[in-house]
Amino acid sequence: MATLADLKISEVKLAAEQTGKWGMVIDQDICTGCQACVAACAMENNVTFVGEVDSGYGRSMHWIRIERFWEGEYPEVKMTPNQPMLCQQCGHATCEPVCPAFATVHSQAEQLNLQVYNRCVGTRYCANNCPYQVRSFNWRDYQRPEPLPNQFNPDVTVRRVGVMEKCTFCIQRIHKAQDKAKSEGREVVDGEFTTACAQACPANAIVFGRVDDPESLVSQLGKQSHGVKHLEELGTLPNVTYFKGG
Amino acid sequence: MIKRIFDWLKQPLGLIAVGIAVLALFSLAAYGLYTTQQPPAQPIQFPHWKHAAFGIQCLYCHPGAAKGPSAGIPSQAKCWGCHNQITKTTDPNSELRFLVKHVQEGTPIEWVPVAQVPDFVQFNHRAHVAAGKNCEDCHGDMGDKSQITIAQNPQVFNMGWCLNCHIETAGQDHEKLVKLSDCGTCHY
Amino acid sequence: MSKQFSRRDFLKLAGVGAATTAILTGCGPASRYVKREPYMQMPEYTYNGQSTYYATTCRECAAGCGLIVRTSQGRAIKTEGNANNPLNLGKTCARGQATLQGLYNPDRVTDPIKRSSRGGDSTAVMDWDASIQVVADALKNNKPEEIAFLMGMAPDHIFDLVTDLANATGMNAPMRFGALGMFEARATLSKAAENLFGQASLPFFDVGGAQVVFSFGANFLETWLSPVSYTRGFAGLREARTKLRGKFVQFESRMSSTGGKADEWIPLRPGTEALVALAIGRLAAEIRGGAMPRAFASVDPKDAATKSGIKLETLEHLAEMFANSTGALAIPGGAALGQSNGLAVAEAVLALNAFSDNLGKPGGVYLSALAPNQTEYNRPASAREMQALVQKMFDGKIKVLFVHGVNPLFELPNSLEFGGASKYVSQIISFATFPDETAREADYVFPDHHGLESWGYQRVATGSAQPVLSGAQPVVSPYYNTRATADVLITAAQLAGGKFAEALPFKDEVEFLQSKIASLMSEADGSISALDIPTFMAYFQQHGGYWKMSDGRGVPSAEDMLNRTIAADEAEFAGEGEFFFVPFVSPTLAEAGANKPWLQELADPTTTVMWNTWVEMNPETAHELGIENDDVVKIVSEAGALEAPVYVYPAIRPDTIAMPFGQGHTAYGRYATDVDKDGNIIPRGVNPADLFGQHFNEAGDLAFAGMKVKIEKTGVKKPLSRLESLMGVYGIGLGEEH
Repeated sequence: MATLADLKISEVKLAAEQTGKWGMVIDQDICTGCQACVAACAMENNVTFVGEVDSGYGRSMHWIRIERFWEGEYPEVKMTPNQPMLCQQCGHATCEPVCPAFATVHSQAEQLNLQVYNRCVGTRYCANNCPYQVRSFNWRDYQRPEPLPNQFNPDVTVRRVGVMEKCTFCIQRIHKAQDKAKSEGREVVDGEFTTACAQACPANAIVFGRVDDPESLVSQLGKQSHGVKHLEELGTLPNVTYFKGG
Repeated sequence: MIKRIFDWLKQPLGLIAVGIAVLALFSLAAYGLYTTQQPPAQPIQFPHWKHAAFGIQCLYCHPGAAKGPSAGIPSQAKCWGCHNQITKTTDPNSELRFLVKHVQEGTPIEWVPVAQVPDFVQFNHRAHVAAGKNCEDCHGDMGDKSQITIAQNPQVFNMGWCLNCHIETAGQDHEKLVKLSDCGTCHY
Repeated sequence: MSKQFSRRDFLKLAGVGAATTAILTGCGPASRYVKREPYMQMPEYTYNGQSTYYATTCRECAAGCGLIVRTSQGRAIKTEGNANNPLNLGKTCARGQATLQGLYNPDRVTDPIKRSSRGGDSTAVMDWDASIQVVADALKNNKPEEIAFLMGMAPDHIFDLVTDLANATGMNAPMRFGALGMFEARATLSKAAENLFGQASLPFFDVGGAQVVFSFGANFLETWLSPVSYTRGFAGLREARTKLRGKFVQFESRMSSTGGKADEWIPLRPGTEALVALAIGRLAAEIRGGAMPRAFASVDPKDAATKSGIKLETLEHLAEMFANSTGALAIPGGAALGQSNGLAVAEAVLALNAFSDNLGKPGGVYLSALAPNQTEYNRPASAREMQALVQKMFDGKIKVLFVHGVNPLFELPNSLEFGGASKYVSQIISFATFPDETAREADYVFPDHHGLESWGYQRVATGSAQPVLSGAQPVVSPYYNTRATADVLITAAQLAGGKFAEALPFKDEVEFLQSKIASLMSEADGSISALDIPTFMAYFQQHGGYWKMSDGRGVPSAEDMLNRTIAADEAEFAGEGEFFFVPFVSPTLAEAGANKPWLQELADPTTTVMWNTWVEMNPETAHELGIENDDVVKIVSEAGALEAPVYVYPAIRPDTIAMPFGQGHTAYGRYATDVDKDGNIIPRGVNPADLFGQHFNEAGDLAFAGMKVKIEKTGVKKPLSRLESLMGVYGIGLGEEH
């Protein structure tokens, strides 16, 4: 019988050879900062709220947040286009090599950065090493009094104290769509499913799909010249493309 | 103070006391382990083997296994669909009297599941059934009379056990192996 | 020999103890021992572990967006937009997403209760038969004109039911009110439409089809009228793939999150909106040439520039942009209308549209489509109409007040004295789902189901080209011992007998609903049709409502619009302070979101503050006054005073301060309130409505933005929880060179 040791699963690839599978395009010009994606993400992924005091200490658990910056001074002040920031699902992620517990690993099958909760021991090295600051740590077992837990999504683990978490690109939806397609003997069709944030977005500013399929909407959009990938110069190979707009 | 305790423990009487304490500890631990291997008490001592012997397919009562993540426990309406026809329910010693009671009183039967995976594992029955796994591969031979009446796990559901089977199933198919050994396949 | 019990020794012993405990308990079966309750009768369409989806309507605001709710094993676990509903086309806002935290809120009213004294904690649980008898007695034992219903803003089936009841018995017609309607100044918009187009209606602005949008204070990307629909419109405006990217200019004194999206943000002096709109009209007319419309003729652009604080060059540049565009649209809204000259602002801005000649054209102004079972626009009550109700209560003309779907003690400004007037009402019966301020002051609370547990329909007042009637059905069975208010009223009316029983001859709520939608069954051009009512009702539930397949929007008549004179007077401001006070509705909480913890934890789009109220102040002003971030200041208006921490906000006029509305609850559950050190319940944040005086504009809306206030330092600091890092945004803590 073959064992894990016999197999060369995790062959190290050079950064340049890495290809993404799932990706996103976010149009900042039409993002209105309405927070629908943030709420949708929290509801879909059982993300906990932490209360006023802990959120004041920067411990809130947003998997996606909307950044805005100021340019200039009154009256020539300008708010920069709203920038939804979430895990960029880097092809060459800086969070991965620093995890001593191998809880932050790269999924070879889906080309996503995984956070394996049952392996996580809470060193928080990954969050320190993430240039996008999109990882959040469960500093406490935050209370969700009855009957709030009734709304838990059964497809997503409820995290407890001492565990790091972050955006998964709604991997439960990916698996569900793949499972459904497989049971019907076909491939997943582009646009058949999407992430919770993209589904909720009233402006349709978020598009999700296969970046390795040149025909998909997200690939078509990603080819546009004004697309930007954040902190690409660090060699992280992010899979989220932003349109700054304006 | 702590040194005095250790000094006392080094005396013969102390050694005996330590021995007894260690023995007690180990036997308690052994008992603890033993209880984990015992099937929990169920509201009805349900004989799976009898139903299997009648030729009832697993999927008749657990149709969810072929359709989605959860195999499901049948509703008592399903039990009663057969049992109000085929068995006398007046026998005071029959396990069926519990079923009759639940049906008459309209209370749900609170089964205690024995085949569980932890919260952080996302298990999908459908994929396993579709891959040609038989129910007994994981849940044991339900037709075996020597089994305790309710289903009992033939093995501990741990990750090594899952992964061994995944690797075997993948064989030489590299793409399959990548998928079946990916952390994100089960943990998210 | 040391008698000390050292730390090392302790660890040794603790280690042994912990290991033993782990062996004895950790592996035991108790940790794995759970019970599973299977269905007794499994519904045929259900499989264990698979979700069932139901179409219904979102009740978080009065817009009426369609929802698809994912349920699993009888629990609601996710809401998504209904992709078929023409209003929201599968999308939701943050509040629609968080509606589940209302359904499963730990602080709901669980049973019908009788309160021993108003405002007190002592309550007795009643049974529903006795409760319905209380309602029946209230209807029967009082003169019909002494009975009043106060309801939420949504034009829904309960409003229709009470209207029918009132029409048949001579009861006071039910009044619909909501703080959102007050802040949107709906009465002003509707009155302006009546004056200019000859028809009271809610104008619909086709942002998506326009090329240039000038918005005068309208916060249409936040909570205004139908935010999901207007956000889709905005995306259409900016859609560069199919046409030129549209331009958007916002005129307001404090940058809202809508204003943050503008290409040009014009901070004008509050009260000069009408002047600026007319000046732009005049300059644009000069650019285009031809006869000068009378509406713009009397305005002097230089004067407008001086008064508004906008440079004349800027006005000329904007006029050029407006005049040279083929699809220019102007939207009035928000704080611009909530001033003493609000009606003039609305008329002046609508006149710009007449000049742009976009009335009834793509990218222009329409009259909103009326819902399929509606004959005329029925707007919610204005603040002045609410004041009339309060006066009636003071005069003892109202003996019984029923309250449903609204929280007047929070949503109505203190200065209107609803609380004081309620003491003259012998009986107050609340149908509140949550223990809000008004429910606390009610003699009885007969809780209605949560929106996701209820039947119903809701007319879509604006936002969709097609006429839409959104349908609601329960997606889960009621979690608590609540009962549908429609059912309570129907049963009580039967018990009261006479005209009451004749007015509502129904078995239950569903039969009433069927009677109301039956006429749509065979109408042409409907999204669904059927030959019998049970089939039609089934389709109605399945699709989440009924809508017409064609455009139902009205075309406003532009006759004489530009040939009337429009007053360009500046607004009057009440109070003596040096600062203009601009209250705005919190984009994340709106008027009723404060009890949902995730809405509290959403960062405000402009300030990123969570869980509290803040005062926005220009950095220059703050510097002059010696005020820093998080310094608590006291704000004094003619009507009241309150204290809140300062957020130094770079995009606000130096003579203006702004505050969000949505917090400051004294009741409404644990997330809407806070506790002090001794465990007493205290308000979370403050309610800026406490500062509002009793001033109205010509249309009867409250002049909530027509105030000047004073600021006093308190010397207290209260740190605000913000999502942004002060270091990254303001360079605080980075050292001198930053």
